[in-house]
Amino acid sequence: MKRLASFALALAFPALVLGWWEWESRQGLGHAYAFAPLEQIARSFLEMLADGRLALHAGASLQRALTALLIGGTIGIVAGVATGLSRVLDRTASPLITVMRQVPILGWLPLVALWFGNGDGAKLLLVSLSAFYPTVLNTQKGMQAIEQRYAEVGRLYGFTRSQSLRMIAWPSALPLIFTGISQALAFAWIATIGVELLFSASAGLGTEMMAAQVAARTDIVLVCVACVGVMGFTLNQLFALLRTRLLRWQPATAK
Amino acid sequence: MTDHRPLRGPATDKAARRTGAVRISGLSKRYAMGGKAMTVLDDINLSIRPGEFVSIVGPSGCGKSTLLRLIVGLDTDYDGEIRLDDTRVAGTGLERGLVFQDHRLFPWMTVAKNVEVALLNQKLPRDRRERVISEHLALVGLSDFGDAYPHQLSGGMAQRAAIARALANEPKVLALDEPLGALDALTRVKVQAELQRIWMEAGTTMIMVTHDVDEALFLGDRVVVMSPRPGRIARIVDVDLPHPRDRASPLLHRLKDEILAELTREPREDDGTLVTFPGRPRG
Ligand SMILES: Nc1ncnc2c1ncn2[C@@H]1O[C@H](COP(=O)(O)OP(=O)(O)OP(=O)(O)O)[C@@H](O)[C@H]1O
Ligand SMILES: [Mg+2]
Repeated sequence: MKRLASFALALAFPALVLGWWEWESRQGLGHAYAFAPLEQIARSFLEMLADGRLALHAGASLQRALTALLIGGTIGIVAGVATGLSRVLDRTASPLITVMRQVPILGWLPLVALWFGNGDGAKLLLVSLSAFYPTVLNTQKGMQAIEQRYAEVGRLYGFTRSQSLRMIAWPSALPLIFTGISQALAFAWIATIGVELLFSASAGLGTEMMAAQVAARTDIVLVCVACVGVMGFTLNQLFALLRTRLLRWQPATAK
Repeated sequence: MTDHRPLRGPATDKAARRTGAVRISGLSKRYAMGGKAMTVLDDINLSIRPGEFVSIVGPSGCGKSTLLRLIVGLDTDYDGEIRLDDTRVAGTGLERGLVFQDHRLFPWMTVAKNVEVALLNQKLPRDRRERVISEHLALVGLSDFGDAYPHQLSGGMAQRAAIARALANEPKVLALDEPLGALDALTRVKVQAELQRIWMEAGTTMIMVTHDVDEALFLGDRVVVMSPRPGRIARIVDVDLPHPRDRASPLLHRLKDEILAELTREPREDDGTLVTFPGRPRG
């Protein structure tokens, strides 16, 4: 009963927005352009679903985001472990990373376009970069915050350096590494749509949005926007599930 | 490090055991606190025979945990000398174990894996290692919890798992820092009896810190009474009773009164037990 009530509450606000939207769309032709009627949006959605356009673009964006997450995330974790363990590496690399991080991803766009053109490689590079930052920073923080209490247990049982790394440093850093990956996932998704909007070349939800805007098809833009939102949300939820599963050793309060 | 004494084998003849002697002489320990040195342990002299059970009691903050950390070699910055069988202690070693005041199980490992931690650097064949783990879990009554994670255990169960971990690699000297402090009275009495049985069988030298004078007397061949600021040995009480002991023994009761009198002898106006240092983990 309580669940039902909270579910109804969660639906109340969107319902209100939709009602207002529909009302706006009926306020004359100019309004109907900016606020495409719900019925038309629904029709476009079904159409795009039927002719496979939606699947094509959504699939392309998803693939781009996940590939970049894999590349940027892996490099981020490796770099985070290395800088987390070695003072020298930390001193050399961390300032550079910190400075680079001040530049928003899209700030790299002109340079990357100049060097690599606007093909898939350039997009992948930028999205990977957006996934790299949160992973490297969180991994590094996790590796540096080894609890002395557990390190002492390792000393007591004669742990080698590799044993301490595998059995103490790495697992105790894992929760933060997961935090890094989940941030990277969110950033990569946002950056994917961003670079697609600006480098409109191959398939992708961002590319489709841009094309629809040029063709004055607000309804299609809206279908894409909704799709981006729902997919981002779903990715997030799936990752949260994975995290809970992999970190099941954590007490519930720490999650 | 490849000591293959049978775990549940016949009782080792303690008189015949010649290893596991701890000799502490002229031991002092200072901590730097806010720029000035604070003496925590002052001129500690104590000779522990191989296979002996020594209990240590004393008010909070008198340096009991510090003393144990020095003995196992977690802290090597001290004046004076600590020797194990004529070798000066200069770091940790598998022949010396410690049960911490807090259990310190790795939260990311199951209970069985946590016990295995103690055996990682023992050259044991896989099947024997599995057996040692399950025997020790059974020993502390946690056979059904090998696959549980530490956060799924009660405080007392976690502490028992930590005892199993410390016993698993059969150290010559085992230091125990209030190992039963988190246990309820009933479990406590049970684990005390278990500890006594294990000690009698394995012949390990045990040095146990406790706040419970009954416990100190029930288990200890000797009870070391410490006084605070700086930490000193105020008195050493011999408990001249054979093991296993009867808790109702009149001698134990008489000694208890003596020790309690010693512990409450000089009234301290600023009771150090109330001073806590935020941020410093207990133990
Ligand atoms: N790392 C440290 N730095 C500075 N002072 C310390 C440190 N560790 C312990 N001390 C001080 O040494 C004294 C003895 O501490 P210790 O933990 O050995 O006491 P204890 O007898 O075990 O007390 P309790 O019964 O409460 O566990 C305390 O006054 C404490 O403040
Ligand atoms: Mg203590």
